[in-house]
Amino acid sequence: MDSTLFDPAVPVIIQGITGRAGRTHAQLMQRYGTNVVGGVAASATAAPSLPSPASGGGSGWGHIPVFGSCREAVAATKARASLLMVPPLSVLPAVEDALSGGVALLVCITEGVPVHDTLEIVRKVRERGAVLIGPSTPGIAVPGRMKIGFLPDAALTPGPLGVMSKSGTLSYEVCYRLAQRGVGQSLWIGSGGDPVKGARFADLVPLFRSHAETRAVLVIGEIGGTEEEELAEALTRARFTKPVFALLAGTTAPEGVTMGHAGAMIHGTRGTATSKITALGKAGVRVHATMHEIVEDAARMLAPAAQIAQS
Amino acid sequence: MFLIEHHGKELLASHGLPVPAGAFVPAGGDVNVVQIPGGAVMVKAQVASGGRGKAGGIASAATRDDVARIIAALDGRTLDGKPIYGFRIEQRVDFAHETYVSLSIDGETARIRLLVSTQGGIDVEARAGNEGTALTALVEPKNLAAAAAALCAGLPSPIREALSDAVPRLGEVFVRHEATLLEVNPLFIMRDDGWVAGDVKLVIDDNAIVRQPMIAALLEQHPSIYPESARKLVNGFDYVEVDPQGEIGLITTGAGLSMQLIDELKAQGRRPLNFCDIRSGQFRGDPARLIAVMQWIAARPSVKVVLVNIFAGITDLAEFAKLLVQAAAAVPELRAPIVARLIGRNLDEARQILAGSPLAVTLEPDLDRAIALTLATLDGAHHG
Repeated sequence: MDSTLFDPAVPVIIQGITGRAGRTHAQLMQRYGTNVVGGVAASATAAPSLPSPASGGGSGWGHIPVFGSCREAVAATKARASLLMVPPLSVLPAVEDALSGGVALLVCITEGVPVHDTLEIVRKVRERGAVLIGPSTPGIAVPGRMKIGFLPDAALTPGPLGVMSKSGTLSYEVCYRLAQRGVGQSLWIGSGGDPVKGARFADLVPLFRSHAETRAVLVIGEIGGTEEEELAEALTRARFTKPVFALLAGTTAPEGVTMGHAGAMIHGTRGTATSKITALGKAGVRVHATMHEIVEDAARMLAPAAQIAQS
Repeated sequence: MFLIEHHGKELLASHGLPVPAGAFVPAGGDVNVVQIPGGAVMVKAQVASGGRGKAGGIASAATRDDVARIIAALDGRTLDGKPIYGFRIEQRVDFAHETYVSLSIDGETARIRLLVSTQGGIDVEARAGNEGTALTALVEPKNLAAAAAALCAGLPSPIREALSDAVPRLGEVFVRHEATLLEVNPLFIMRDDGWVAGDVKLVIDDNAIVRQPMIAALLEQHPSIYPESARKLVNGFDYVEVDPQGEIGLITTGAGLSMQLIDELKAQGRRPLNFCDIRSGQFRGDPARLIAVMQWIAARPSVKVVLVNIFAGITDLAEFAKLLVQAAAAVPELRAPIVARLIGRNLDEARQILAGSPLAVTLEPDLDRAIALTLATLDGAHHG
């Protein structure tokens, strides 16, 4: 994975910028420091044949130019990343638009994308050699510098912890508590709660391994699928030496019921917490059962006071 | 949406796939008004999970009286903690051999996983590779028919002929109805080399239901069998009752945090009623979602306290507090006290709004302290 994609200055466009949420988050991201260089109208990706309201970047929304397609937007702005904020059934055409425009990093916050669409989306993204985060991600951030998506500012603090998470809210809660203990984050990647997705936990291992600012990794996983098991294998294979902390939600969830996230469903022995805890434990990951415990453990190891005491 | 076997088989039959003749008796229904198949039959309890045979949910019957007796013994009960929604009474199949076929979504490769085995029965996946012939392939949806044919070509006759017909047709149903799992186990090979689906486990992607009219119609007809999917389709968010006798109602946003809260409460021996991802960011000034959740919680008299948890990244807590007060006024039957853990934008204004309202609510910005307050309230209710 090309780590320059996560450079704080990466130029970003927003697909769906003319929608209610698109407008709000364009502003919030800019205020946070993100290099938002343009947008594509919500309708342009949903129905490519319609004339877009402000094609060509002439008028645009606010002071951010709005284009009729990603191809136009990338040509005019040199954008490398795109935030997809379009309705679930419009995500597939929006991804096709982004890929044909040459976008290298796609961050899709849309929840509820049908999984058979995502199969097609992931195939196309891989064919192009692009990177997809999500769907159903709250976004990514280099805390203090930039964010793509809607990770809450209250939880974002610069620091040593690389974050990979299937769950937005649980990662906010844990990172917020750690930030209060003086432990912030180096790079935060919400990989989302869908069963089929772009970057999976295991794909992020090389990124965090070579990321100098990252001294430890926080994993927020949950029941369903095999991503945590794949991560355990990848950590072992990579001989990952930075400490890894993990919290797994849904250890008491019933079988056969979707727990909010489309990927959070247990079938028989597949996707159970036991399988994940065992695999991660074998890979040397510090797996915790409660928010309190994981915060205490990570703070003990990483808080500034702890560093001084050790030196 | 995990279809009960009866609905899975009806769906296969509607596409011309062979299933045993069968009829459905709903829970609490009268077997005498149902046309049941002649001859020896199987009575199969309909629950939304596997392992029914082991749990005693499947029995054979020779007469209508047998059928009535078996149903009477199971009706109104649960199977491994799962409610029984009804009974499928189906013709016994005189088969030559049992095989196994499944299609599922493989997240790691973003492909469809095809698994066929010459040995059907219990624990096939665990046995795969040990007995008989189990073959697996990871395929792109558009190559499914060809890959199925190629996979089956490696099987011994006469299983090869039967599965070469069955697997591509099952694949078509899997793709057409946007399933995430379609498992036929056993898939009976008949004496004439034909095949029949013995049991069907079919899970449809909840997010695809909006463009799956047959599935949407099924949901509309049977909201009590599929309460989670029905609620999601109507209300737009997730709510799962995890313990009908639960004592703690949860009004929470975020799937991961809601699951984690349930786990931690259960680990302390407590009984949360529900999982809830209300998505406060999507309220748009409307208390409808809060009202719905409060009504569902109020419908369970075992609930002694309600815990609200909102970590507001974007949500304006002042607006949330107003909606909470409005919703509570609209659901006076919810009498349990509320502990609200709110943190984020406009907390002070939210505090004033709640303090000035008639609502019995305690505000606490720290989650661990809010949980402690919730448990203290619960213990007070037990002793009071």
